[in-house]
Amino acid sequence: MRPENYQAKSHPPSNEYELNFGPNHPGIEGNYALRVKLRGDRVIEARADAGYLHRGFEKLMEGRLWIQNIALVPRICVPDPTPMEVCYSLSVETLCVLEAPERAQWIRVMQLEMSRLAAHLFAFGGHAATTGLYTNMFWGVADRDLILDRFEELTGGRVYSIYNLPGGVRRDVPDGFLERLAALLDYLEARLEDYDNLFFRNQVFIRRARDVGAMTREQALEWGVTGPNLRATGLAFDVRRDDPYLIYDQLEFDVITQQAGDALARNLVRRGELKQSIRILRQIIERLPAVPGPVRVPIPNPLAWNAPAGETYTRVESSKGELAYYVVSTGGDKPYRVQVRGPSAMHAVRVLEKLSVGARLEDVAQIMFSLDACPPEVDR
Amino acid sequence: MSRAIEHILRDLEHIAIRHDSERRVRIDLASEALPALLELLKGRAGFVHLSAISCVDWIDSGEFELVYHLWSYELNTLVSAHIRIPRDPGVYLSVYDLYQPAAFFERDIHEMFGLYFEGSPDMRPFILTEWNGPPPMRKDFDSEAFVNQTFQWETYHPDWLKDLEEQGGGIDKRPEDIR
Amino acid sequence: MSNEREVIGIHAEAKRGNPLAHVFDELTRFCRARSLFMLHYCTGCGAIELPPAMTSRFDMERLGIQPMVTPRQADILLVTGYVSVKTLKRIILTYEQMSAPKYVIGICSCTVNGGMYWQSYATAKVLKAYLPVDMYIAGCMPRPEAVIAGLRALIDDIEADRAESWKRYYQHYDHYLGNQQSLFGDDWQTPTDILAEAEHYGLLGEHTRGKHTALLERHQRPLEALEMRLRVPEEPE
Repeated sequence: MRPENYQAKSHPPSNEYELNFGPNHPGIEGNYALRVKLRGDRVIEARADAGYLHRGFEKLMEGRLWIQNIALVPRICVPDPTPMEVCYSLSVETLCVLEAPERAQWIRVMQLEMSRLAAHLFAFGGHAATTGLYTNMFWGVADRDLILDRFEELTGGRVYSIYNLPGGVRRDVPDGFLERLAALLDYLEARLEDYDNLFFRNQVFIRRARDVGAMTREQALEWGVTGPNLRATGLAFDVRRDDPYLIYDQLEFDVITQQAGDALARNLVRRGELKQSIRILRQIIERLPAVPGPVRVPIPNPLAWNAPAGETYTRVESSKGELAYYVVSTGGDKPYRVQVRGPSAMHAVRVLEKLSVGARLEDVAQIMFSLDACPPEVDR
Repeated sequence: MSRAIEHILRDLEHIAIRHDSERRVRIDLASEALPALLELLKGRAGFVHLSAISCVDWIDSGEFELVYHLWSYELNTLVSAHIRIPRDPGVYLSVYDLYQPAAFFERDIHEMFGLYFEGSPDMRPFILTEWNGPPPMRKDFDSEAFVNQTFQWETYHPDWLKDLEEQGGGIDKRPEDIR
Repeated sequence: MSNEREVIGIHAEAKRGNPLAHVFDELTRFCRARSLFMLHYCTGCGAIELPPAMTSRFDMERLGIQPMVTPRQADILLVTGYVSVKTLKRIILTYEQMSAPKYVIGICSCTVNGGMYWQSYATAKVLKAYLPVDMYIAGCMPRPEAVIAGLRALIDDIEADRAESWKRYYQHYDHYLGNQQSLFGDDWQTPTDILAEAEHYGLLGEHTRGKHTALLERHQRPLEALEMRLRVPEEPE
């Protein structure tokens, strides 16, 4: 439009207006949009607008073989792809009455925790950037990259590893991998002190994040909040501990909780989980060499693999909350129906809409990042 | 704990309870009884978390299957309640008054399957706001045929491939010809 | 390429009287290639490799590339991954708002031919049918090194005056608009008046107007200022 064609309308004075927040906006996580109504700079109504990342995964998966879908699932949540693979593999294993060998289960848990570390570091970085603390973002992303290096060594892929498959993992850990992982954990643990000084004890962050996007435990339960966001309201629930899968029941770790339920508490929960993930990984490094066995069981010819008819609802704890797959088979070589229940389907839509009301406009980005919302999980 | 669930549900008729594993319970029941079941589970057994609502399109029998996955933080048990409703007209009751997360799942099922939930707070399109076709997750919607008639394809014929093709190799079949 | 360049009015060689003009052009291109602002729009999964590329480890900033938050001040539009139809509309709106010269890079295999979503009803398959693309960086997803290598190749292209896709958009607007209309419907229109801009820049080519732009002009509604006010509060706060 040329400026000379533009005739501005004059309006009666008002301090209420509507703003499109995203999809092309640095304060929004991924390709996602919010439509906010404001009075002054207070949000009086927020409405989520998704679908920018919609690929129709659930339809795509109905048209592909059981094993082909392994390549598709990690794309559903880009910052934290491993739980997707593991959860899908567990679903198919439940349907086919397979069980991954014990060593494969240990390797899977190792991957899951590495992925959780990487996702949490990324989440801090994003949240810090919304409060103007860019140094932390640079550090978080750079340290995450060191974890991706280990992923690359283990699986061959930096982000999407496609390393799990129904019946185990593709191959055993390389020689010397565990030593290098241990060295990385030592580095990260020493680094946590720096993060505390830079970010978690930073008055800029504390004052900006305290009381922003606060919810009570009752609200959180009513809205279906899960994962670190639920633990930040004081409920010690973790799928890893309370509905254990793989070998989590053989590992020692604490479920981190906070009471306040605001953006600060959610970040402190994730800060505590970094420490716990490192603790879990140390136990794995210590015990994995003694775990015998192959890393995968023989599976049928993938091109002619018919899973028995049945259905399963499998859930795991991703870095963002409860992740579940509902898989239905009618005995064919392809799934009849796959449903992905991403944790962000709750957090990024109705919870975000509710928490934004009453917040100031500059805090909306903080609320979204503190919920660790992942838009591709909403859109699928 | 499974005994506890059976005790709570003893008054409901036409209900089949199956224990799939230690923490998984499957319940099949008639669609009219579902609100009563959810109310009992939420009120008496602490099933406060609606993990998901799944919809399956059983086109051969002309039915939609709805599965309500509920989790109890007290019993640490997941209950999946299965109901079936006729595909046509495809209308069911919303459970939003019991479980607020239902709003998202019902809206999602509405736009993906075309199943309408009476009493749900918001049935407007959410993800497919710019979509004019039929609900895409229905089994009678053929995604591949739609793609072939809607989108352009990149033709990829570099010189090195032409050489290969002259020798009888190369990619000259589309995926659907192979399958 | 040489034929096309003669069509371009203001850049045609014949109009140049000043012998130093070429030196000045070269200087402009040199500077332009070293201060690129990249639009901060994460359209798909490839965007996850941009933070590593931008931050301390791979550090794109040493090449003079920085993220920019508004389209009007950005030079590069990175289309990072698959584009759903809904996103594609926003990409076109964004692209048209960017000020020339502007460059489009398609990252990931999905922008080339749909990638692994070739079956999907929701994603457009070939990005260059809707927008002129300067460069593709293939891979699923390309590593930060690949992204940086691609951007360096773009820098070389800009310096050598080869990155001229934005002119192609004006000169072949009818073609791009036709593809957009076939996907979005006949009443598709954007707030930017490309035809008037093409005239303004002297970039009207023989393929700028055609049957699709005629269709656009038939459907085009004059744009009005949006109604911003919701309601007047009873008592001002």
